[in-house]
Amino acid sequence: MIDPAALAQSLQHYLPNQRWFGAKDRKVREVVIEELEVLEKDWPVLLSVECEVVIEDNTSERYHVLVGLRPPGQPATFLEGKPDAVMGEFDLELGHAYGYDALRDPELSLRLLDIAVPQNPPPSRVRPVGAEQTNTSLIFDDKVILKVFRKLSEGPNLDLEVTRALSSVGFPHIAELKGEWTRKGTDLGILQRFLAGGAEGWALAITSLRDFFGTGGDPAQAGGDFGAEAERLGEMTASLHSYLSSAFGTTGGDADAWADVMHAQLQRIHHPDLPSEKIGKVFDELRTVEDPGPSLRVHGDYHLGQVMRTDMGWFVLDFEGEPARPIEERRWPSSPLKDVAGMLRSFQYASRSALMVQEISDSELAKSWEQRNRQAFLDGYVAVAYRNGILPSDTGSMDLVLRAYELDKAVYEVGYEMAHRPDWVDIPLDAVTELLGGN
Amino acid sequence: MSRDFEQDESWFQRAVFYEVLVRGFYDANEDGTGDIRGLIEKLDYLEWLGVDCIWLLPFYQSPLRDGGYDISDFFTVLPEYGDLADVIELVDEAHKRKIRVIADLVMNHTSDAHPWFLESRQSKDNPKADWYVWGDDDQRWSEARIIFVDTEKSNWAWDQARQQYYWHRFFSHQPDLNYENAEVQEAMLGVVRFWLDIGLDGFRLDAVPYLYERDGTNGENLPESHEYLRRVRKEVDALYPGRVLLAEANQWPSDVVDYFGDGDECHMCFHFPLMPRMFMALRREQRYPITEILAQTPQIPPGTQWGIFLRNHDELTLEMVTDEERDYMYSEYAKDPLMKVNIGIRRRLGPLLENNRRSAELFHALLFSLPGSPILYYGDEIGMGDNIFLGDRDGVRTPMQWTSDRNAGFSKADFARLYLPPLMDPVYGYQAVNVESEMRDQSSFLYWVQRMLQVRKQHPVFGVGTLEVLTAENPSVLAYVREHEGDIVLCVNNLSRFPQPVELALDKYAGLTPIELLGRIPFPKIGELPYLLTLGEHGFYWFQLVES
Repeated sequence: MIDPAALAQSLQHYLPNQRWFGAKDRKVREVVIEELEVLEKDWPVLLSVECEVVIEDNTSERYHVLVGLRPPGQPATFLEGKPDAVMGEFDLELGHAYGYDALRDPELSLRLLDIAVPQNPPPSRVRPVGAEQTNTSLIFDDKVILKVFRKLSEGPNLDLEVTRALSSVGFPHIAELKGEWTRKGTDLGILQRFLAGGAEGWALAITSLRDFFGTGGDPAQAGGDFGAEAERLGEMTASLHSYLSSAFGTTGGDADAWADVMHAQLQRIHHPDLPSEKIGKVFDELRTVEDPGPSLRVHGDYHLGQVMRTDMGWFVLDFEGEPARPIEERRWPSSPLKDVAGMLRSFQYASRSALMVQEISDSELAKSWEQRNRQAFLDGYVAVAYRNGILPSDTGSMDLVLRAYELDKAVYEVGYEMAHRPDWVDIPLDAVTELLGGN
Repeated sequence: MSRDFEQDESWFQRAVFYEVLVRGFYDANEDGTGDIRGLIEKLDYLEWLGVDCIWLLPFYQSPLRDGGYDISDFFTVLPEYGDLADVIELVDEAHKRKIRVIADLVMNHTSDAHPWFLESRQSKDNPKADWYVWGDDDQRWSEARIIFVDTEKSNWAWDQARQQYYWHRFFSHQPDLNYENAEVQEAMLGVVRFWLDIGLDGFRLDAVPYLYERDGTNGENLPESHEYLRRVRKEVDALYPGRVLLAEANQWPSDVVDYFGDGDECHMCFHFPLMPRMFMALRREQRYPITEILAQTPQIPPGTQWGIFLRNHDELTLEMVTDEERDYMYSEYAKDPLMKVNIGIRRRLGPLLENNRRSAELFHALLFSLPGSPILYYGDEIGMGDNIFLGDRDGVRTPMQWTSDRNAGFSKADFARLYLPPLMDPVYGYQAVNVESEMRDQSSFLYWVQRMLQVRKQHPVFGVGTLEVLTAENPSVLAYVREHEGDIVLCVNNLSRFPQPVELALDKYAGLTPIELLGRIPFPKIGELPYLLTLGEHGFYWFQLVES
């Protein structure tokens, strides 16, 4: 069909330009085609390719590429203005062809769905989802969404694994699982119901902040108050944790183990304004908590961008965990307060980024919004979590565990911002100061 | 009168209704109170505005302790309003202008001054002894909530004459009729027939959920009540095809749909929760308060329709919102305790929207494009205000403001004789807000409403089309598509007080061209890519999607 060597050669240039490619900062030494399945052998041709990408530092990553092939002269308006989506020219038995990212091609996208996870009746329309980091998603007829995994891992894909498990225990706040795309034990994609009419939690929070910054005063009295939403979000989050514990089980929490992981990260991250010693003391204090509550499988990368407001309330998206952590580590059980901490940090991020976007200098405004919604979220969370027995036995312990996780998250953010957005590093640093008691 | 007009039995699915308080509309006989002859004189205005059906508040004989909802004779017109001949002439004159007329009818109760009640209370064995709901125990049916919590302590009231309690779901001067009694059922059917024979086009049936009582229930939405309504409908279908029954059931949509039956009960029901949700969406600057309630609104049987409104003569209804939302609505809209009445807020649309023209336009654009037949409240089309210092619900029942002349052009009577003073404040008073000056000004709100109604009339899709809410990443934008027999209309609304961009996934309509409906302006053709629109503060678009 296609010469694997020629394809590998093209991919070596193609891959580093893809948004979902993880090792952009390093040179690709070699691409090895490991699996090549011909999904459609007639024009336009469709291939599903798994390849190993060997990086200059001798590490390697596995990726999933969908190749579309058409003869020259066939117009492809869907590629206009997207030179990065083109792989090059190839000689096939069918004739000369140019290759490109098949997920840009509506015809092949519909064909792919029909082959990978056939639907009855087959959809007639497809559109891609906008900005995505690690996967590529397609929406069919505004009814189902196919997420094609790009970076492949040993063992089950985390998102699919958790979605499958939560579906089996009947958790109502995830998009219903409609199908799985798996080949020889490798998970390649997940099909879910499309949450029509939904908007990201982040967008809603920013809407609220925009309104609040326009009026000021008491955030609870502002027209665009987010408090009730935050409270319902907290309730849903506690319910998520209950379902996760039904699906994956729970154990008694091991505060020592949690503290070890936090310390390990703290040692990796250095910034002149990061008071590592004081933070370390908080982590050590965590070790002394007698009943830190249960340990369970958590979302792991929980923030306003991972939840969606729909007409049926809040939904959780994307269970892949923090992309920077190794896969196995993302499966480790931890305190559910880790997710709570993630969302609380997100409230601060939302309020601060709104300040920056609107060029407002009154940081007290941002703080009062954050306080209001932080409290509302916690109220909602605790009310449900308390009933379901997933909290530490006393509030003092809960505060300690939560504070440690918030600091841990802020430390992670300092590292992230230093690498990606140095201008933003003050946001987590200010949070650290705040969490350590304002000194 | 054209035959089409008469024969169109589904008219109410596309109609624009206009709620009139006869008392407050126009005073023809100069006694200080509006009357039916006054309304006849103003029919040309309503025709010009584009109204399809007038809804009259109760015009029956009444001691007027509850705005006429306390009827003391179903067959007589309140003398201040006119007489039967006036009603007949009103119906004829309206029909000449292709305007229909429906009227309020209270089925649940009468006034305590009604001869039926006067007779019933005489003894326990008179011929009408059983026409009302009597009992020795005032604790029976304690599960039934008290609706007018501000004035009533119990649903039972003691009658000195009969030495028994009588049942009343509303005010204690409004005893409930006993529908267990076959004679009562017949008598009320007689009332229905009487007015339909005169030519009325239907009824707005007041307080229908409460007709029956049953032990161990809250006395709302009982199967027996539905059965009686089906009986009324059967009568209407058999003898008066094309007339409508519009049910007032202030309940959650999933309960209200029961009043449509299988298309064999009421033709129309009010959609109550939509309206407070619209106010909330505007305050929150996001669409979920609206889309949530739309998602919770069940499909209705073919041949039926919702009645939707922004305001009416009663309070902004908050019974059906959750406690948290009710608190929120109170804190936003009723900072002044005088504005609270029962579980609602007595304000007109203008003051509720702080006299903001743009948000008033947005609200009307939503009202005219969401599924249902819109019901306008008299005076809202010119942006009238209210007077919160008047008692009970009178604050939103002040005289219609026709001109800047004496008494707002409503009446030539002495000012002191007016049933209520017209508004005279500098913002909403008749000097500033009146029909005459708005009709002179092509850019007035009145003209804008009239123009919108013209456009709506050209597109039956607004009345009978399907609804699909579109996905937009921007939560401040509410976009939906209405579709009916190839007529496709896209409505995009900005709920924010700031300008907003939105990208809409319109790939389903790729190749079509959006034509803006007010100015017939063609917009760029829809392609495969998301369609980008920008909206001004509280802006909206209505597009028809057409083959280019």
